[in-house]
Amino acid sequence: MRPEESQTLPIGAALVVGGGIGGMQAALDLTAAGIKAYLTDRGPAIGGVMSQLDKTFPTNDCAMCTMAPRLVEVGRHRDIEVLTLNDVQSVRGVPGNFTVTLARRPRFVDEAKCTGCGSCVANCPTRNHVQPLPSPPLELEPELRETLATTIARHKSRQGPLMPILQEVNATLNYFPENVLRYIAQETGYPLAHIYRIATFYSAFSVVPRGKYVINVCMGTTCYVRGSQGLMDKVSEMLAIKPDETTPDMQYTLKSVRCIGCCGLAPALMVGGEVYGKLTRKDVPDIVRKCGEAA
Amino acid sequence: MPRLTLEQLRERRQAASKQVRPGNGEFKGKITVHMGTCGIAAGARPVLAAVHEELEKIPNSSVVVTTSGCAGLCSREPMITVALLNTPPVKYGELTPEKVRQIFAKHVVDGAPVIEYAIDSGSEFFKKQLLLVLKNTGTVDPERIEDYLARDGYVALEKTLTLLTPENVIEEITRSGLRGRGGAGFPTGIKWKVCRGEKKTPKYIIGNCDEGDPGAYMDRSLLESDPHSVVEGITIAAYAIGASRGFVYVRSEYPLAIQRLQGAIHQAREYGLLGEKVLHSGFDFDVEIREGSGAFVCGEETSLIHSIEGESPEPRQRPPFPAQVGLWGCPTVINNVETLANLPIILNRGAEWYSGIGTATSKGTKIFSLVGKINNTGLIEVPMGITLREVIYDIGGGIPGNKQFKAVQTGGPSGGCIPSSLIDLPIDYESLKEAGSMMGSGGMIVMDEDTCMVDVSKFFIQFTNDESCGKCSACREGSDAVLEVLTRISEGEGRQGDLEFLEELGRAIKDASMCGLGQTLPNPVLSTLRYFKDEYVAHITDKNCPAKVCKPLIKYYIDPDKCPGCLLCFKGCPAGAVKGESKHVHVIDQAICTKCGECLEICPPKVSAVVKLSGKEAQELQSLPAPVPVKEWRARRALETGTGVRR
Repeated sequence: MRPEESQTLPIGAALVVGGGIGGMQAALDLTAAGIKAYLTDRGPAIGGVMSQLDKTFPTNDCAMCTMAPRLVEVGRHRDIEVLTLNDVQSVRGVPGNFTVTLARRPRFVDEAKCTGCGSCVANCPTRNHVQPLPSPPLELEPELRETLATTIARHKSRQGPLMPILQEVNATLNYFPENVLRYIAQETGYPLAHIYRIATFYSAFSVVPRGKYVINVCMGTTCYVRGSQGLMDKVSEMLAIKPDETTPDMQYTLKSVRCIGCCGLAPALMVGGEVYGKLTRKDVPDIVRKCGEAA
Repeated sequence: MPRLTLEQLRERRQAASKQVRPGNGEFKGKITVHMGTCGIAAGARPVLAAVHEELEKIPNSSVVVTTSGCAGLCSREPMITVALLNTPPVKYGELTPEKVRQIFAKHVVDGAPVIEYAIDSGSEFFKKQLLLVLKNTGTVDPERIEDYLARDGYVALEKTLTLLTPENVIEEITRSGLRGRGGAGFPTGIKWKVCRGEKKTPKYIIGNCDEGDPGAYMDRSLLESDPHSVVEGITIAAYAIGASRGFVYVRSEYPLAIQRLQGAIHQAREYGLLGEKVLHSGFDFDVEIREGSGAFVCGEETSLIHSIEGESPEPRQRPPFPAQVGLWGCPTVINNVETLANLPIILNRGAEWYSGIGTATSKGTKIFSLVGKINNTGLIEVPMGITLREVIYDIGGGIPGNKQFKAVQTGGPSGGCIPSSLIDLPIDYESLKEAGSMMGSGGMIVMDEDTCMVDVSKFFIQFTNDESCGKCSACREGSDAVLEVLTRISEGEGRQGDLEFLEELGRAIKDASMCGLGQTLPNPVLSTLRYFKDEYVAHITDKNCPAKVCKPLIKYYIDPDKCPGCLLCFKGCPAGAVKGESKHVHVIDQAICTKCGECLEICPPKVSAVVKLSGKEAQELQSLPAPVPVKEWRARRALETGTGVRR
């Protein structure tokens, strides 16, 4: 066939490389135009990255709601042939007449018989093994490494050691630098992603550096109805930072805290372990100055 | 120290009880300085120093000084109690080192109490309370086990280990009608029975002191003031369910509570009240503290379990309940620490006696933290079934500043607001639930006419929205949507149909959420919608915040008839929005004003020229174009009204 003919006649077949949302839609559009489609993907299943997303930008639409109908349609479409676990080796030819060579990797499962029950996954003995990726070399100051090592050694034999370790490290460092989290992951055997999840879940932890003094303004109900928002505004105005921010000289971090249990002295704030109660906006400068002097 | 046998423990208890009361032992007077977190924050340390200093001046006084936890009346801290031989103890409040010196001169040396600083122990605040769990707080030194032993400490544990089988204990607690004090009110005996019946071992017991409800601090106070009662309680519970290891989960925001509980556990181990073969019986039990790190959701039991395990602290679906499958997959009972502290009392005095207190379905007493816009702020313990009126007016002493009582908020972010019309409501699990609120952990936040209900529900939704772990979308997205609507209403951008939408959304979140946090998060909104709908309507239709709280709906205004031109607010305004000069009526430039309220605070009460306006008044506000001399303005007004100038 000559190239010019191919542009007018819908004949033959098309190969779509990549079975993500774009590839699936392309295959569906092709078949709607009367062309047989081969949909190939290097992974064991089609769906691509979108199948791992909860929401999509910018509309916050649910990813699965967009995707699921297309997955089903591709799966049952008579004119679409899904070729998973395939790598494209070569493409030769001219528009309208290509020859593509695919290399198929083994699945170790008989696709004709598999019902997709998933019990092989549940029973795989190596499924839960963490596959460590080659990570960048850890750079830790020897002193810090030693402190961390003692902390970890102290708690490692306990059941559920992660929280005590993180709490102790947080108390010394005030935040978790990335290399520290990596080191903890390496020494405890917890995946880094898990440790990161914990380190970002609790409000007492931080992965960004915090100031020497963390000013916790209590925003519990009692303090709130007794005017702690005013205190917060005053501290914020004095230090020129917003809540959850740190002054550029790394001295103060402003935080709102959910009830320090001193409702009898509302409104209150806490710096370090020290609680100041029955405050008005006028008291704020003194307290902030006092921290500075102690330094 | 060797681990004690039963007999040795009894001997020690007897010896200790001789030491605690003046007269029995070697001393004839005892001064107790109350050093809870609130006491220390209010200045108890200098008071303690002053007490020691004064005492040194008196040679051979045979007066001892001890410290203890909170005495309950937090608004009067720092406090001390002076107990002299043959006279009733006297509590002094709101002390300074100077006042301590006077008390020493008159009371300790001459024996004449200083009436003007003393707290009336016969007042309604004390009379209407029934102190069971709190009976030791403010009396015993939390750092000395002898003090606790002297007040029948560990008698219940003795009894449990020698006379009762685990089944007996469960039976007794079930008959007492004790229900969980953490909020949901699940019967403790039944929970234990389920766990006891499980075959899998080991079993665990967890004391929950992740007191996240803002406005509630009874668990903190309990651990700070009487940690041994919790240690005794958790040991009894462990014996009943067959656990040999226990945990107490404490918020990291409570450093003093952690320190004192740690001390108590250490002492109990030394005495052989914890560890292998407790009191030489066949029962092994030890307990350790685990700290939270600032996540509200960790108070939820499955989430708490995940947190101890070091997993991501999200709740999981129940059943299976933790009593069946809990910590590390083993049967686990989680009790609030206040529940645990109730156990020794029930075992000492019997289930019949205990179930005689309270109402048909809610037995015993409950500790509340009575806070907010109330005269007597503090921790109170009252029998179930007491009415709100008694709590607020008799115990609480009413609302400060002759303001109108508007509502009381119970149950924290999961609870609701109970309006003044329901003031005769008896306080128990069921009636609070019926009123659209819940018992919760026992925070009772009183609100007066200056509290805006839209603002309050916005505050709570902001809280739950922040603290939602994000696992289920009804809670995560739902709280976002509610917050968005509430913010709009509070900014005067409310629309018709918003209220119906809030109600519908609230019900959907309740139905679709997995854990308690989501299921209860709409409560503050739904309950305020139920009782204070007119306030929402005022925000939406009239753009009026009746309590004058919502900043976008209010304006600060200086009443020219009252302003003497004193320059106080002019100097105090951080934004420079007040225009004026000496003896000229000041004017607020609305375009610059940030509505911080500094001017209102600064303006002397006898002048009170600065006012807040909202709604129609604010929209039609016309201030003076420029400052006018006060004299000129008053003359002009006198002409207009035909009357003389009043001031």
